[in-house]
Amino acid sequence: MEYLASTILLIGIFVILAASYNLIIGYGGLNTVAHPIFFALGAYTSGLLGAATGLPAVVCVLAGVAVAMAASFVLAITTLRISGDYLLIASLGFQLGLLQLVNNVEFTGGPAGLSSIPDTFAGPGRGAIYVVICTAAAALVVWAIWRTMNGPFGRAVRAMRDDELACAALGRSLIGMKIRIFALGCGAAGLAGGIYAYYFQYISPEQFQVAQSAEILTMVVLGGIGTTLGPIVGALVLVVLPQAINFLHLPNGLVGPAQGIIFTALVILFLFLRPGGLVGTAGAGAAH
Amino acid sequence: MSERQSNNGSAFGRRKALALPFAALAARSGRAVAQAKEPFRFGCLMPTTGLEAGYGLDFVKTFEMATKDINDHGGVNGHPLEMVVLDTQAKPELAIPAAQKLIDVDKVPLIVTAWSSVVKALGPVMNRGRTLQLNMGANSPDIANLGDFTYSTFPLADVDVTALANYCHTKMGKRRAAVLYINNDTGIGGAKLFRDTFTKAGGEIVAFEAYDPKATDFTGLLLKVRVANPDMVHMHSLAELPQVIAQMRQLGMTQQITSYSVGYNPKILAQLGAAAEGLIVTSLAPTSTANPNVVKLLDLWKQVGRAPNGLPYLQYAWDTTLVTAQVYGWLDQQNMPLTGENCRKALLAIKTFDLPMTGKLAVTDDHKVQKPVYLYVVKNQQFTLLETIA
Amino acid sequence: MIEPAILLQILWTGIAMSSYFVLLTVAFALTLKVEKLWNFAQAGLMGVAFFAMFYAMNALALPTWAGIAIGLGATIAAAVALEVWAIGVLRARNSGGLTFFIFTLVFSQFAAYALTILFGTEPETIYPSVMSPVRILGGVAVSDWDLLAVATTLALMAALWAFLRFTRDGQFMIAVSDNAKLAEIYGISAKRAYVISGVIAAIFLTAGIFLYGTRAGVTPDVPLVLVLTAVIGALLGGIGRIFAAGVAAVSLGLLQSFSILFIPSKWQALLLYGVLFGALILFPRGLPAWRIWRLRRRLGPATPPAAPEPLTEAGE
Repeated sequence: MEYLASTILLIGIFVILAASYNLIIGYGGLNTVAHPIFFALGAYTSGLLGAATGLPAVVCVLAGVAVAMAASFVLAITTLRISGDYLLIASLGFQLGLLQLVNNVEFTGGPAGLSSIPDTFAGPGRGAIYVVICTAAAALVVWAIWRTMNGPFGRAVRAMRDDELACAALGRSLIGMKIRIFALGCGAAGLAGGIYAYYFQYISPEQFQVAQSAEILTMVVLGGIGTTLGPIVGALVLVVLPQAINFLHLPNGLVGPAQGIIFTALVILFLFLRPGGLVGTAGAGAAH
Repeated sequence: MSERQSNNGSAFGRRKALALPFAALAARSGRAVAQAKEPFRFGCLMPTTGLEAGYGLDFVKTFEMATKDINDHGGVNGHPLEMVVLDTQAKPELAIPAAQKLIDVDKVPLIVTAWSSVVKALGPVMNRGRTLQLNMGANSPDIANLGDFTYSTFPLADVDVTALANYCHTKMGKRRAAVLYINNDTGIGGAKLFRDTFTKAGGEIVAFEAYDPKATDFTGLLLKVRVANPDMVHMHSLAELPQVIAQMRQLGMTQQITSYSVGYNPKILAQLGAAAEGLIVTSLAPTSTANPNVVKLLDLWKQVGRAPNGLPYLQYAWDTTLVTAQVYGWLDQQNMPLTGENCRKALLAIKTFDLPMTGKLAVTDDHKVQKPVYLYVVKNQQFTLLETIA
Repeated sequence: MIEPAILLQILWTGIAMSSYFVLLTVAFALTLKVEKLWNFAQAGLMGVAFFAMFYAMNALALPTWAGIAIGLGATIAAAVALEVWAIGVLRARNSGGLTFFIFTLVFSQFAAYALTILFGTEPETIYPSVMSPVRILGGVAVSDWDLLAVATTLALMAALWAFLRFTRDGQFMIAVSDNAKLAEIYGISAKRAYVISGVIAAIFLTAGIFLYGTRAGVTPDVPLVLVLTAVIGALLGGIGRIFAAGVAAVSLGLLQSFSILFIPSKWQALLLYGVLFGALILFPRGLPAWRIWRLRRRLGPATPPAAPEPLTEAGE
């Protein structure tokens, strides 16, 4: 069933995005709102490459991961000079500027979007195959982040987040750590983008707006920031909830706004009733 | 307006029954109101929230009115017609899962859609789900190439913009045009069409400028246009059209302004007052003066208590509901199950639809729709018919 | 192309059109300074202000002054309610910056949906007409709206400056913004300062959206777009510098207006974002004036510099 498949696929995509965003902002303490642009770079690179060369999807998706990682280097380098809220502004400029570029150049399809992405697995099993691939990718990303954050590198990252000066005094290369965090987090977003592009076969700049980082952040915080399970639960709840509201059979003219009201009201309720996130304890945060 | 209607019209009165072909089918079952039989459902994906919902909600309302009208006259062979609406916010990423829900859960064989990015994103989804998509309001020329399961009931941009550009050059004698357009799919596509047609006709494009969809100050842009010294300005804009015109007139620029069907909106007259005088816009559907059937739609909207947004689009919304019902009626008569593939077969078999609000619709292999283009000019604060280009 | 009259026209209209951005940016910068709050809920408040005025002046056919009074009343009431029943609660819980960020953003979305149900989504303007009488002064077209916008903005900015400079509440607000805990030791009520800053922001938001809504159509979604631009202005002005944020808003507006003379218009937005990114990389410790200000603050013994609440909870 395609609907079920696409819902599971979206959960998988957002698990990857939320987990990788959690790595950067929750574990690493690196304030950025540029996560959607890495998602877009992965999607556009693999989509364009697939459409132009007909190379196998795996190669195109991996190329998307590579481009997202390479672009993340630019953002990581800025942390040499700025941090905290100023990094946030720089990342905002980075996100908006790059997306504007994607929007304005001709070869990406511009605002009309890219619709020539090849169909990889035609046939009735298509949805199921994508579900398996996406679930495996999500599991791999979550595992990789868990593994990274539970080793010596993870401890160093937490130390850096809590006190950069002290961490540097211990002989750690801060910029090296930041580059690695960005590369892993943004590369994962690129992977999500590649799968997204191949499954939906249509991408346009409006699908990767900066507002999406607020959506992903809501998943992270609602689930529990700085936890392994939090982003998974957050993504699950926030993808399934609007779909579930679709089944309520609201009056036609009201279906959109009423759905929006129910959804936002529930998020506000969660924020007040479970301030530590669904899997975190109250007061728990990345610093604890 | 159509022979078929007038032939059947005696039983119901012309204005009362705009769902005539189905009313005739229903009459055979001897029921005035569809109730007992299993309902025939179709999907409807429209922006009911977000920036585009002003139009989207009115489309949905009109689909409801048309559906009710059909059911009041016996439904489709006695089967009540039902619509399942989901919100897209005019965004592809929301439209795709919504379409999949309609296909897999609600099991609708046919979905009516609008907004170019949504229609294009749904192209592959429909092909895979073998469900028919009827585009009733998007006009990107790419829509003609989305495959076997996407058809339009609405003419794509090449129809009205081409007619307008040719008219400006040939009939109005304009030689130097400036084109201002919103930097999105609608604006870029329409502006390029105008530019290419006007140039081909022998005119010169002296300025071709895009602006950001969020822009509110167009002064610099307009001054740049003024320096280029055009004798007309074509604006391929959306909701910001009144602001662009207002700022242009306030800068003392008096050139002829043209726009497309988005400009055919009474609200613009109120917002601009005398500054709207002389504005030329297009419409792809006849007005109530040319087509008395439209009066019924306007009467129904009077009950809503306000003027509807984008009346010509609503005429297409009404007629698209009739196309849907006629497709379902044909399948029911042939005892064929209501599937997407069968809907496509029915659409191609019926081929020509006589529709009360927008006239004849011919389904062609190139997935394009040809309709007359109505050019209106604002005179004494009213849209006045300037020319009909068949 | 670059005749003085054209440059003057772009300059004048650019200044007039940026007036509402100045007001919205200052409102955002003020709450960021005093409450250390990235208050995206201001988009929701803008929506309340606009539709209250729209309803009063169109459906109820009240005169302009009454419409503005109703808009102001509704917005101030909503701002105070938000402060007391939501933001105050989160603050008392020591919630992290991210929680505030998400709450305020989701609140604005909630307000947009609620306003959609009440008023629909057709773009509405406060007056039916968006035209305004124009006079030509020295070759420059100056509309009544331009004059009203500039005068309103200047008057409100002057009033805010005087309030912060000369009133006890204003000075208390500055003290709270520097160090809320220290201020409370001196008997200053931080809560009162927060409420007052919320009320002032509500006044600026109402004025800003009134000017916007007399010029362009507003739908319930528009305020969320406007608040993003306000954020950029507030940040470029330098966190904690309310008036510099206003200047930044005008500068950004003018940069975009003038750049059209040199680059194709579709690349204008990219220029803005490029400046945003480039300025931070080139001046990582802030623009030069920024640095002097920070240094001066650091030297003042009673007012240690207070960083705004970081957006990440990592710093907690």
